[in-house]
Amino acid sequence: MGCASSFPGKNVGRSGSLNGEQTVANDPKNIRVKLVLLGDSGVGKSCIVLRFVRGQFDPTSKVTVGASFLSQTIALQDSTTVKFEIWDTAGQERYAALAPLYYRGAAVAVVVYDITSPDSFLKAQYWVKELQKHGSPDIVMALVGNKADLHENRKVSAQDAMEYAEKNGMFFIETSAKTADNINQLFEGTGIYLYRNKTQLSWITCNNRPKCRSCICCYEVP
Amino acid sequence: MDSASDAPIKSLRPADREPNIAAGLQQVSATEARLSSVTLKDSSSRDGEDRVPSNGSLPADFYDAGEEIEAEDEEAPPSVAAAPEGSFEGDIAWRDGQGMDGEAPPSPSSSGYAGERGSSGDSSGIVEESDGSGGVSQVDWDKGKQRLHENMQDDASVSWRKRKKHFIILSHSGKPIYSRYGDEHKLAGFAATLQAIISFVENGRDRLKCVRAGKHQVVFLVKGPIYLVCICCTEEPYESLREQLELLYGQMLLILTKSIDRCFEKNPKFDMTPLLGGTEAVFSSLIHSFGWNPATFLHAYTCLPLAYSTRQAAGAILQDVADSGVLFAILMCKHKVISLVGAQKATLHPDDMLLLANFILSSESFRTSESFSPICLPRYNPMAFLYAYVQYLDVDTYLTLLSTNSDAFYHLKDCRIRIESVLVKSNVLNEVQRSIMEGGMHVEDLPVDSSLRSGSASNHLGMGRSEPVLVPQSGSGGPAGLWHFIYRSINLDQYVSSEFSSPLNNFSQHKRLYRAYQRLYASMHDQQTGPHKTQYKRDEDYVLFCWITQDFELYAAFDPLADKAQAIKTCNRVCQWVRDLENEIFLFGGSPFSW
Repeated sequence: MGCASSFPGKNVGRSGSLNGEQTVANDPKNIRVKLVLLGDSGVGKSCIVLRFVRGQFDPTSKVTVGASFLSQTIALQDSTTVKFEIWDTAGQERYAALAPLYYRGAAVAVVVYDITSPDSFLKAQYWVKELQKHGSPDIVMALVGNKADLHENRKVSAQDAMEYAEKNGMFFIETSAKTADNINQLFEGTGIYLYRNKTQLSWITCNNRPKCRSCICCYEVP
Repeated sequence: MDSASDAPIKSLRPADREPNIAAGLQQVSATEARLSSVTLKDSSSRDGEDRVPSNGSLPADFYDAGEEIEAEDEEAPPSVAAAPEGSFEGDIAWRDGQGMDGEAPPSPSSSGYAGERGSSGDSSGIVEESDGSGGVSQVDWDKGKQRLHENMQDDASVSWRKRKKHFIILSHSGKPIYSRYGDEHKLAGFAATLQAIISFVENGRDRLKCVRAGKHQVVFLVKGPIYLVCICCTEEPYESLREQLELLYGQMLLILTKSIDRCFEKNPKFDMTPLLGGTEAVFSSLIHSFGWNPATFLHAYTCLPLAYSTRQAAGAILQDVADSGVLFAILMCKHKVISLVGAQKATLHPDDMLLLANFILSSESFRTSESFSPICLPRYNPMAFLYAYVQYLDVDTYLTLLSTNSDAFYHLKDCRIRIESVLVKSNVLNEVQRSIMEGGMHVEDLPVDSSLRSGSASNHLGMGRSEPVLVPQSGSGGPAGLWHFIYRSINLDQYVSSEFSSPLNNFSQHKRLYRAYQRLYASMHDQQTGPHKTQYKRDEDYVLFCWITQDFELYAAFDPLADKAQAIKTCNRVCQWVRDLENEIFLFGGSPFSW
C-alpha cells in the first residue's frame, strides 16, 4: 500500500473517532483529506475507490467487510497535493450502527447510490439525513449516482437526484466505475473544492449549511 | 412458545396438555416419519461428491432401521463439549414402518405440514396455498404432501432434495435465517416445520437431539432463540454433526455477537436474514471445511512448518506489538499459523482461530486493501465485538491484529507497518513462501530407523527426502503401507497432518479419509463407552489406527493390507519423528497461553 504512517502527530482530532488527526492538514501545499463512502450494499462504493486508487475495475462483486482503508494522492495544477484517506464502508445493514466510527471527523462524505435502483437512492437519502444529524457540521457531502453506464436501465433520474442534492447543499455527479466516467472528476473536484475553500477559509467555518450553496455550487469541475 | 401460537401450529399440541413425553415423542416421530418421507426419502440422489454404497432403490433395511429420537434431558446443559449426560435414556425406537408411507394413526401432529402453511402466509415465499381449515385431517395431510411434492418438483427444489448435507438455521419463531442450499425465503415452510418439531419437544420440557430416518440423520441444536439443523445422509457420527452445528453457530456469533438474542427478546418474529447479508460465502466455506479441515473436529490448530529461528523472529515482533495494547496478533498463511501472540492473560481458543481464519479467507474484500472490521470471538467473549485490523502481506500471508478499542485503527496500522518491515528484513515472508512450496511432513520421508535420528540429516523437514531408497516401499505411500497421519499435541492444542500422497490423490479421497478420522475421533472420545487409548480398525478402504496418551493423539491410515505389527511399529516411529521435528512444526509460545 505504501501508505505513509498516519499515526497521530501533533494535532489529535476529536476523540472517539477513527481519524486521529485533523481532517484537513495545515500545510497549505499538502492537503490531507479524510473521505468516507456511504451507501447501500452493491451500489459500487468499492469499485469507485478501486477505480480511483488503482485504476482497476473488477466486475465480480466482493462484499466489503467492515471498512477498507485506502489512500491516494493527487496533484492539483499549482503543485498542491491532496492526499485522500478513504474509508470505504460496507453497505450491509449490520454495519450501519458502526458507520459513525468511520464518518466521524471526515471532511468529505461521498454518498453513493445506483442509478438503476430506487431503493439505493432512498438509502442514500437516509445517509444524508444521518450525516446531517450526526456528522461533523462542516462535512462536505457529495451525492454520487454510480453505474451511469447502465443508463438504459435507469430508474433514478438525474434531475431528481440533482434537485435533492441542491436542496441538501450537496455536490452531485453521476459516475461509472466500470467505464471510469467521472471518477477522477469526482475526487479532483472534491480536492479542488476543499483546496479553494481552504485557502478562502470559507467551508471550514461556514455555519450556514445546508443553506450555503455558494460553497458547493460555485465550484466547477476543471 | 409464543411463536407456536400461529393457528396451524397449535394443532400440533396434544389435546390434553399432559406432559406425556413418551406419547409426545411418538407423535413427533410420526411427524418426522412423514417429514422424512416427504423430504428425505430421496435416496436416489447423487451428486458424485460422496461414495454411496447403495443403488437407486431403498435399501432392504430401510424400514427395519426405523426412527429413533434421542431426547436430551432438559437439565443437561447445552455444553459445547459433547457431554450427552443422561442423553440416551429417553430413547424411543419407532418401529412402525408404516409410518414411512404416511399412514400412521391420525394424530394432531399432522400439522408438521400445517406449520408450513402457517408460515407461508406471512413469508409469501411458498406458492403453497392455505385451505383455511384450522384442523388438519389426514386427508389434508395427504393432499398436502402431494402438493408439497409438486411444489418440490421445480428445478430448484429437485436439486435441493438431492443434496447430501443440509444446514439450516432458523429462529425460534420458525423464520429461516440461513440455508446452505436454496433460497432461505423459499424454505419458510420447511423451516416452520422444523420449528414445530423442535418447539413441540421443548414444550414437553425435553430436548430433541437427533432423528434418524433410514440413512438420514436430522441433528438439532438449540441456542436460545436460534435453532440449527443439519440433515444429512453422510453417515457421520451424531457428535461430529453437532459439533459442526456448534461451529456454524460460532461463525454466526463471530459476525453478529450473542447480543442478537436481544433482538428476539424485543421481537420474537425478528427477521435476521438482512443482518447476515453478504455472508453466504463465509458459511459455505466453513461447511466445506468440515470435509477437509481436521481442525473442525480436532479442536486444534496447525502451524506452517518453519525453522525455529524464523518462527521466533516472527513471534518476537508480534510480542512487541502485543505489549503495546494489541489483544491478539496473529500471523497466518492460509489456514496455518506462522505465529501468534496474545496480551497478558488473553487466551485464544483454537475454534475461534478456525472461525476467524475462515471469515477472513472467505471474505474476498480483505485481499484488496487493509481493513478494519468488528468481529466477535465467541469463545473469548460471545457478547462483545473486537476490532480486527486485517492486512495481507503477500498473496497467502495475512496479519490480523485484534483490539478491544474501536478507535485503534491508526495504532494497529502503525503496528502492521512495524511488523511488516521486521518480517521483510528478517526474511520471514520468503521462508513462508519456501515452506508452502516444500510442504510439510511426507510419509515417504519417515526415517527408517529411529536410532538414526539423532544428528542425522533427516532431523529437519525436507532434508530426508534424498534417501527414499532406504525406505521399504510396500505399494505406495510410506513405510509399512503408511498413507497418512495426524498427530495432535494435547498440551499445545496443535496438530500436524502429513501431506497427502499417492494413493490419496484427490479431494474426494481426502474427504473420505477425514470422515474416517472423524468417526475414529468420535468413537475414541465417546462419553458413554469411556475415552479409549487405542483402536485398530481394518475395513476395505484403510487400516486405521488411533492411539491416545496424555500428551498426544495419533491418527494414522495404512494400506488395507498392512501388517498390524508393522503398522504399530510405524506409528511409534511417526511419534518419534514428530517429536524430533517439533521445533519446526509446532509453535511454542513464550507467550502466556493457558489454553
